[in-house]
Amino acid sequence: MADQTFRLPDLGEGLTEAQLVAWRVEEGARVEVNAPLCDVETAKAVVVIPSPWAGTIQKLHARPGESVAVGEALVTIAAAEGAPAEATPGTLVGYGPGAPESGIRRRARMPVATAETSIDVRAAPFVRQLAKDKGVDLAQVAGTGPGGRITRSDVEAAAATPATTAAATVPSNGGERRISVVGIRKAIARQMVRSVSTIPQFTEFAVFDATNLMAAREKRKASGRPMTPLPYFIEALVKAVRAYPMMNSSWDDARDEIVVKEPIHLGIAVNTSQGLLVPVLRDASTLDLDAIAAQSAQLIEGARAGTLPASQMSGGTITITNVGASGPVETGTPIINPPECCVVAFGAIKPRPMVVDGQVVARSGAWISISVDHRIVDGAMATEFLTALVAELEKISA
Amino acid sequence: MADVVRVVATDDPVRALFSPAGELTAEARSRLGLDAAALRELYRNMVLIRRADQEALNLQRQGELGLWGQYLGQEAIHVGAMTALRTDDWVFPSYREFGMAMVRGVDPADMLTLFRGLSHGPWDPHKYHFAPLAIPVATQVPHAVGFAMGCRLKRSEEVVLSTFGDGATSEGDWHEAMNFAGVFKAPVVFLCQNNYWAISVPLSKQTAGSIADRAHGYGFPGIRIDGNDVLGVFAAVRAAAARARQGDGPYLIEAVTYRMGAHTSSDDPTRYRLDSELQAWNARDPIARYRGWLEQQGIIDDGVVAAIADAAESAAQAMRARLISLPAPPAGEAIFGRVYSNPPASFLQEREEFEASLEGD
Amino acid sequence: MSEPVTMAKAINLSLRDALTRDENVLIFGEDVGALGGVFRITDGLQKAFGEERVFDTPLAESTIIGVAVGLALRGFRPVPEIQFDGFIYPAFEQIVSHVAKYRNRSGISLPITIRVPFGGNIGAVEHHSESPEAYFAHTAGLKVVTPSTPGDAYALLQAAIDDPDPVIFFEPKARYYLKEEIDPTARVPLGKARVAHEGSSVSVIAYGPTVSIALQAAKTAAAEQISIEVIDLRSLSPLDMDTVMASVRKTHRAVVVHEAPVFCGFGAEVAARISHDGFDLLEAPVTRVGGLNVPYPPARYEKLYLPDADRILQAADAVLAYG
Repeated sequence: MADQTFRLPDLGEGLTEAQLVAWRVEEGARVEVNAPLCDVETAKAVVVIPSPWAGTIQKLHARPGESVAVGEALVTIAAAEGAPAEATPGTLVGYGPGAPESGIRRRARMPVATAETSIDVRAAPFVRQLAKDKGVDLAQVAGTGPGGRITRSDVEAAAATPATTAAATVPSNGGERRISVVGIRKAIARQMVRSVSTIPQFTEFAVFDATNLMAAREKRKASGRPMTPLPYFIEALVKAVRAYPMMNSSWDDARDEIVVKEPIHLGIAVNTSQGLLVPVLRDASTLDLDAIAAQSAQLIEGARAGTLPASQMSGGTITITNVGASGPVETGTPIINPPECCVVAFGAIKPRPMVVDGQVVARSGAWISISVDHRIVDGAMATEFLTALVAELEKISA
Repeated sequence: MADVVRVVATDDPVRALFSPAGELTAEARSRLGLDAAALRELYRNMVLIRRADQEALNLQRQGELGLWGQYLGQEAIHVGAMTALRTDDWVFPSYREFGMAMVRGVDPADMLTLFRGLSHGPWDPHKYHFAPLAIPVATQVPHAVGFAMGCRLKRSEEVVLSTFGDGATSEGDWHEAMNFAGVFKAPVVFLCQNNYWAISVPLSKQTAGSIADRAHGYGFPGIRIDGNDVLGVFAAVRAAAARARQGDGPYLIEAVTYRMGAHTSSDDPTRYRLDSELQAWNARDPIARYRGWLEQQGIIDDGVVAAIADAAESAAQAMRARLISLPAPPAGEAIFGRVYSNPPASFLQEREEFEASLEGD
Repeated sequence: MSEPVTMAKAINLSLRDALTRDENVLIFGEDVGALGGVFRITDGLQKAFGEERVFDTPLAESTIIGVAVGLALRGFRPVPEIQFDGFIYPAFEQIVSHVAKYRNRSGISLPITIRVPFGGNIGAVEHHSESPEAYFAHTAGLKVVTPSTPGDAYALLQAAIDDPDPVIFFEPKARYYLKEEIDPTARVPLGKARVAHEGSSVSVIAYGPTVSIALQAAKTAAAEQISIEVIDLRSLSPLDMDTVMASVRKTHRAVVVHEAPVFCGFGAEVAARISHDGFDLLEAPVTRVGGLNVPYPPARYEKLYLPDADRILQAADAVLAYG
């Protein structure tokens, strides 16, 4: 005498519910197979539902006027003695909420690669795969294709040329000499071509009063902790960038979007025997002056020794270059390191005539020049930024 | 008034058997050549298929079938036509010919797996000479004609029965196929089950003319007969098939009947037709009429009627039990198994991936 | 090897050989009997094989295909002809609902080969220049093939007629008079593409009427030191991705060409498969060249609509410009 519950079937190709019109049986009544149980009204018709089993009505699960969803219990019947419990309780046929007769299809879980995706690198799938196979860091490869796209031959050239390979010189011929351009020289060439061919950039200049900065240096020197001007430049630059976050962004050509970077990863242009390298001081805004000094010194040393891993030479968001470290050069027009928005050049600090309180006096000063991506930044903002940078430098306290 | 025997064209052996109103003449009825056992068998089959029809509707209401299309009221055509054919004659049904398939010997529980969502065609057409159900209206009629053209080309003796409803006669395929049959003199008997309703559209809105008379336009004879008289249907189909078998070409029989049930279990006929119409046709119920005639002839009595009813009841119970116990074929085989004779590699790969994605098989 | 023959003649010979080899092969359709078809493809066949094997039907495309189903059930191998591409639509239901699905429904194979002249470039009136192949390639249960040369036309048609399942055989009518020597003993299985021209820089994937255009493009490109490989699909369904991918593995760039409108055209399937199966191989996006998304234009404008060698070369340039 097993109880079986008969659930409302889908009575007409995709119906979801029916309203109970009237019961034709009462609880406790005996029914035979196919005896009328109730009348229900669906969206299509009023129909009589015949009993699927013989037995005794145990429970009517709905009252006249109530809606019953397809798949909900309608009536529970205690099977008659000896009646086979052969029916398919709960399982409606091939539609509605019915379960399929056999297996169901489930999403197969597979490990998802969490590889860092760089929107800054433009390269076709094959080129990315090739770079992966050859162990080439695409961020270090300058693309020569249209729009700065990295091509197959760019990757092959990068792979074929270890960073330490010297440029080969082809024997001279007829008064000119051809030098095969490989390695870092080639990468620099591509990166610079990409910069000037894809980024409309302009440059602004300013001179700042380094009196306070020099005083601060003197004080440190006196206490036995000398420091070059670079960490001061970096600290001031980071502060200015935080006030003008657009300087720390890049232009996404593919989507016509400006990508503003939260962390400030500062590229430091370093002249080495192999050429110009740009090690990156990561998360510069989280570092104090001493940490900036220590880490930047380490990076510069590593770059010159050729011991920095690729990971410390990529991912910059803005670049600083020091054009005044030697020689008579006051300033220059730096070229943006793509895909960054801004590059800042500092000239040499030296005494120069300045007007203070209406009088020409000799004070320590230096040129600053910034080049910016005009797609992102207009002249007004560049000027504000440069003004802020000068202010930060001039308010350094000893 | 006695039935008038009309002079008919020599190539129309059917018309001679019927009154102008389409009733089988008493004389023709007396010359059918069916013995008492055969006459009882007609009755038995009609009762069996009606009971199976009712059981299928019950199964649909109980959630065991997704859909059911009753043929209630059309049993005389199903049984009469099938009994008139040889078993090697092919039948091309539409979708309401479950009763015909039963008479041909197709297991009814197997057939119901179609409405249980397990198969698109649960029987072997070559074994039963019974084509798969054709759901798009009238599309099976060209198949029947093509098959019949093939029989003619093979010089074989079998003929083809093409059956369809009144709605089908509006479809282009129907007209095209009738035309082909006439042109190629195909050995095909067209049997229109004019049940007055194509879902909710009555015959009067389906056609402004006569269905049977259209045959003349295609170059062969046609007749409108009483489709609720099993012996009339039997006689007409037998005569038309014999004519086709001897090479005289197609014949169109419009058998007038009535769809007593809904179009399908999803339909509600109270929205479009009057109960009085149903009552009028109830009085012409093909089984009751035939039983009355058999009793009058002394061929059956209450005992026989009761025994046949019991047999139909047991058969229906057996059909129900077997249907519910039939296992579902594995999904991969059900979905991919019969698409190609030589499945392309890409198809096999898709099947493999599908089967690998299944869980809990 | 013998005298060069046209594609039209090669198809005629193929039908003749099929009729000779198998008495169950039947050819029928509109005007295929005494006239020999509007393109004379069935020329002389009725005379040679009689009116029961090769016969004219009433003008009724749906039932031409419908009776093919019935004849196939009765044991024949019907080879019906649809007179023009634009006249196949009345038969669409029979093809899609029955020819394609009958086996799935009944377990019975229907060895039907439906011949359809297709494509443009013949200066015809409306409904005579269409490329409806994608409708059918989209339908499971059908095989869809199209030759581009007389030799392939002969051999592919043999394979189609021999196949136990239904095949739509699209004949590029603008190439009916292309001539070459054919080898009647050569076998071309369904579902096997061929490399029509070897190259290394760009894979141009074409079929039917666009193969010869792709070959022209390859020739022009060679003079410019651009190496185009031309793949002739021959079979759209099943699709031979092995041959396509072998080429893309070599070139890393693919251009798909057909006359049908690009939008939802067969090229979309090829492009999607290349992009998926060969994602890491690609140096440029897969590019499609085809008809505009408009009804086929009046004949005076068809050259502007149809792909030509220049448009293929432009696409090749574009994919090469990716670097």
